[in-house]
Amino acid sequence: MQDRDSGSCWFTIIKMEKEYIIELKNVVKRFPVGDGLFTALNQIDLRFEKGEFSGLVGPSGSGKTTLLNIIGSLDSPTEGNALVLGKDISKLTHKESALLRNHHIGFIFQVVNLLPVYTIFENVEFALLLQKYTASERKKAVMEALEWVGLEKIADKKPDKLSGGEGQRVAIARAMVKRPEILLADEPTANLDAANAHAILQTMVKLNQELNTTFIFSTHDEKVMKYLNRIIHLRDGKVESDDLIKSKENVPGT
Amino acid sequence: MIRFLLKGILRDKSRSVLPILIISIGVALTVLLSGYIKGVFGDVITQNARFETGHVKIMTRAYAENIDQLPNDAALLETEALIGELKTEYPDMDFVQRIKFGGLIDIPDTAGNSKAQGPTIGLSFDILSQNTNEVKRMNLKNSIVQGRIPQNRGEALIGEEFSKKLKVKIGDVVTFFGTTMNGSMTFYAFKICGTIKFGLAALDKMAFIIDLKDAQMVLDMEDAAGEILGFLPNDVYNDMKTIEISETFNQKYKNSTDEFAPVMKPLKAQNDLEEVFNYGENMSGLFVFLFIIAMSIVLWNTGLLGGLRRYKEFGIRLALGEPKSGIYRSMILEAILVGLIGSCIGTLIGLGGTLYMQEVGIDISEYMKESTMIMPNTVRSKISSNLFYIGFIPGVLAMVIGNALSGIGIYKRETARLFKELEV
Repeated sequence: MQDRDSGSCWFTIIKMEKEYIIELKNVVKRFPVGDGLFTALNQIDLRFEKGEFSGLVGPSGSGKTTLLNIIGSLDSPTEGNALVLGKDISKLTHKESALLRNHHIGFIFQVVNLLPVYTIFENVEFALLLQKYTASERKKAVMEALEWVGLEKIADKKPDKLSGGEGQRVAIARAMVKRPEILLADEPTANLDAANAHAILQTMVKLNQELNTTFIFSTHDEKVMKYLNRIIHLRDGKVESDDLIKSKENVPGT
Repeated sequence: MIRFLLKGILRDKSRSVLPILIISIGVALTVLLSGYIKGVFGDVITQNARFETGHVKIMTRAYAENIDQLPNDAALLETEALIGELKTEYPDMDFVQRIKFGGLIDIPDTAGNSKAQGPTIGLSFDILSQNTNEVKRMNLKNSIVQGRIPQNRGEALIGEEFSKKLKVKIGDVVTFFGTTMNGSMTFYAFKICGTIKFGLAALDKMAFIIDLKDAQMVLDMEDAAGEILGFLPNDVYNDMKTIEISETFNQKYKNSTDEFAPVMKPLKAQNDLEEVFNYGENMSGLFVFLFIIAMSIVLWNTGLLGGLRRYKEFGIRLALGEPKSGIYRSMILEAILVGLIGSCIGTLIGLGGTLYMQEVGIDISEYMKESTMIMPNTVRSKISSNLFYIGFIPGVLAMVIGNALSGIGIYKRETARLFKELEV
């Protein structure tokens, strides 16, 4: 990220700092393992702008998921500061963390993870039940989210009737229905074939561009990397490289 | 949110069927047992009130002290005046005179010699008056086995078993031998007009029933009676009311040193019925408590297994921004919903069983043959208003306790760890 800040005029610096919605400063995360401690993240310094379409790339154990958990306020750093939308994650209570996730952060997982006893509509609706929406507002928002992913016609189906690609599109609708500022996607295409993976990624790109949502992926899928405009390589809990790949206009499918 | 949870419970059979089944069984048993206890103890109270204690009983102090000996020498005198006073003071209540007496029944043969003899316990009450409630109260018409109820002075009913033992037939004349209230010997011939079976072993074994006026004449007890029984309106017992009436009545005579001064005892204070009452209530409470404990343990385990299976769901909900406390609250809410559904089903089953037991009952006459307790030969359950809600206490409470205990695991697990379950 340093290269992105350097050389900017004072006006630009102020403008860019205002636009950072995630700031990680010297973030360290250690887990107890046996009698000792395992360092999963070591001195991570990263900033993410609003509307970025970026990815954390690295082998297993490099710290991708731990970093996503900290950004998603599911975990807090052992040392350092993680500011998400101006809130210091380590200072948030459980309830404040949940509130942050509920209003501002969406998750998409490697496994579809829909609630099997509820319909597609109800799965998407659940995120809104935690907020103060009326039934008609919820219905409107859910149908709109399902339209984004092209599944509005099968809203009454149960998840077990869906293909893997359709399931992941429902998961996107569920994550996006509350229009979060940040969407964290952990290996979202790992269980999909190439066609479905591209369709999903194109949907995400479209939402990123239309809603200006910040997407952060954890991936080692080449197909995903092609769509990213920033790739952060992690190794042994450290940032190995942070590369700005291309502008949004060059992203495939746009 | 409640609608959402309810849908989940109804659609996810593994989440609802087993707990609802456990709750239903436990609640049904609670209702059945409570109805049974209520029925048995209610019958004991009703039968005791009708035959022995009334809702309140007035005696002299001396009579009360030696009541087991049927001491008619200590009977109440000027009873008509006393009843008049009582009716003025408690106009809603029905006060009736009873005389219980011991003696011997002799059955003569055609030559006038004794054919058979047997000791008897006599009971007299108002059978012949036009406005008497006693015939209905004692269920006399339905208890007649052969013959009819007395219609004239000098007629008597005899226990069915007693009549077989003495080989007495309807229309036979028997001689009663006993003592008057003054201690003199008395004997009188009665015509047997019917045999009777109350279904109370203690009474049926040697019952001899005559009209009150006959007893007063034979026992030299004009305007006297061993006991005056008081019954609340419609013969419906009310514990508090009888205690209150007794306290008010006894207050008037508390400074009297006369051993023949009247004393009023509420039903509970007679025949050790207070212990019976307390036993019934304790047993009922104990059953509810035991069911809560037993069902809580079972549901705790069910909740733990269900909770483990639902870690994935909890992970999704955490990701969607539901706080741990919200998940825990929803588990409790689900427990209340499941508890309510199970309690409704269990209550319906329990009430059905209670209704069946109320109509059919269990015949315990074989075990009561030698009993001197006033207990019905057929014990029946009784449907009462509290059966409609009593099962909900263990039903909902056990489910909530079970889920609350198993849900603690969610708090003990770190958010990121719960979330990690999603990767499975």
